Amino acid sequence: MEKSQLGILVEELGTSDYERKLWQKLLQEATSGAEASELRERLREPLLELLKELGEGSFGTKLQLVSKKLKEFPTVDILPLVLELCGELRQEKEQALQEFQQMLSELATPVIRIWTDVLLVPLVGGLDSDRAQGMVERLLERASSTRAKVVIVDVSGVPMIDTAAGGFLIEMFSAVKLLGADVILTGLKPEVAHTLVKLGIDFQMVVIARDLEDALRRAIAMLEEEKRQQQKIARVWGGGFLGEGEESDEV
Amino acid sequence: MRFEERVVPTIKIGDCLLVPIQIDLDDRTVEQLQAQLLAEIQEKRVRAIILDVRMVDVIDSYISYTLSETAAMARLMGCQAVICGIQPAVALTLAQMGIELRNLMVARDLEHALALV
Amino acid sequence: MEGERDKRGLMDIQEEDFDVVVRISREDDIAIARQMAKQLAQEAGFSLADVTKIATAVSELARNIYRYAQTGVIMIRKQYQETNNPTVQVVAVDRGPGIEDLDLALRRGYTTHERSLGIGLSGVKRLMDSFEIASKVGVGTTVVVEKRRRKF
Ligand SMILES: Nc1ncnc2c1ncn2[C@@H]1O[C@H](COP(=O)(O)OP(=O)(O)OP(=O)(O)O)[C@@H](O)[C@H]1O
Ligand SMILES: [Mg+2]
Repeated sequence: MEKSQLGILVEELGTSDYERKLWQKLLQEATSGAEASELRERLREPLLELLKELGEGSFGTKLQLVSKKLKEFPTVDILPLVLELCGELRQEKEQALQEFQQMLSELATPVIRIWTDVLLVPLVGGLDSDRAQGMVERLLERASSTRAKVVIVDVSGVPMIDTAAGGFLIEMFSAVKLLGADVILTGLKPEVAHTLVKLGIDFQMVVIARDLEDALRRAIAMLEEEKRQQQKIARVWGGGFLGEGEESDEV
Repeated sequence: MRFEERVVPTIKIGDCLLVPIQIDLDDRTVEQLQAQLLAEIQEKRVRAIILDVRMVDVIDSYISYTLSETAAMARLMGCQAVICGIQPAVALTLAQMGIELRNLMVARDLEHALALV
Repeated sequence: MEGERDKRGLMDIQEEDFDVVVRISREDDIAIARQMAKQLAQEAGFSLADVTKIATAVSELARNIYRYAQTGVIMIRKQYQETNNPTVQVVAVDRGPGIEDLDLALRRGYTTHERSLGIGLSGVKRLMDSFEIASKVGVGTTVVVEKRRRKF
């Protein structure tokens, strides 16, 4: 095929300079007579860019045009590659969307490390949503990976706790305790406390603090207590036995 | 207990027995595990067993039942039982099912477990 | 409703509509079913916690089949009702003895097995978003459960 003919086709296909450049590259590479495996490598980038630029639908229409006008264009050979790239793009898009949603939900309910080994979760809004579930999962991951010793849950931003929300909190507390961390609950408003008692929910499994300051004070007291325990065993083992000897070094 | 009768390797740390659980617990292996642990508690005179479940990615009602049962048996032999290393996703699942691990103390990791007993 | 059920067995379910079909006849099959469920839910983009919940539910249902009916089938499929929000459906079917009193069987702590907490079925119900059970003495038991992928 002559250069000029290819040029005409490129003009016909492209609606912008950028797009024309991509088509030019694609058509040149495709008709260069390269080996199948090498062709795949060379076509990958222009194909991907064109797919991104045009979307699957209009890229498909234009590809039909190309295969009609340009007899030596290896349509059959590149179709699997096109499908593969479409799949990749779709996945990328979905992943980006998921990451974005994740980010939004993290902004809405942060998990804050307020002290060594102490996490704070200020809950806001209703507790029966997907967002709340996502928050608990993040909290658990965080508590586990940082080996948090105490988790403070502040519910002052929760307007109302009904049976379902109470059940949700109980599950969350039990899950945290199964990781071996303690839970301190704070921020229960009088009206909330009132309904809780009426519902028969007493949160026996957690320590309840008056306010955030009280919660932090209690958390630190718990850490001190555990440190004493650790020192006790460190003495028994002769210090630094477990290799991660922050505490035992001081003995 | 002969070596080949063991279903899990155990490590003795002071007077505690560390039991890393890395096998799929089915009816058969659970019974072997219980038999093995009871024998070792007796033989090695340990005062606590530490069940490390870091490698276990599903704990259903049957497995939690058997873990609690093993702990209850150990208790009758004067031996405490601690479970440690529960994965976060497993903790959420157990909590949602309303499963409590009766007879077991819960620890974050080995170091914490040793401090508890 | 009863008459309908009698004609077609307990529910109208076709194996070929499912992505995964695991026959349960040995104890090892429970672990296989669990593993398959896990893989499918992972592919569908469920969070690790939800993957674990689905795998645990499958474990409970498969164990009930193995224990009470000896043999049966676990079937699992992904369904896309709305875009971006797939559902995993798990169906457990057996032709075992059936359950006489479903309310009782679903009650937390009720069990006919000597080494059990009796919280399998009630636990599955809590772990999943929807739960349906049909059972007839002498005919068998069918359980259908679903969990949808969360938006966040
Ligand atoms: N597929 C089944 N066929 C016949 N009976 C069943 C079946 N599944 C459950 N049952 C009956 O229902 C009861 C409750 O089942 P469930 O799974 O809730 O508890 P479990 O199996 O007894 O104990 P767990 O599941 O906690 O180990 C069982 O004890 C059994 O009698
Ligand atoms: Mg059961």
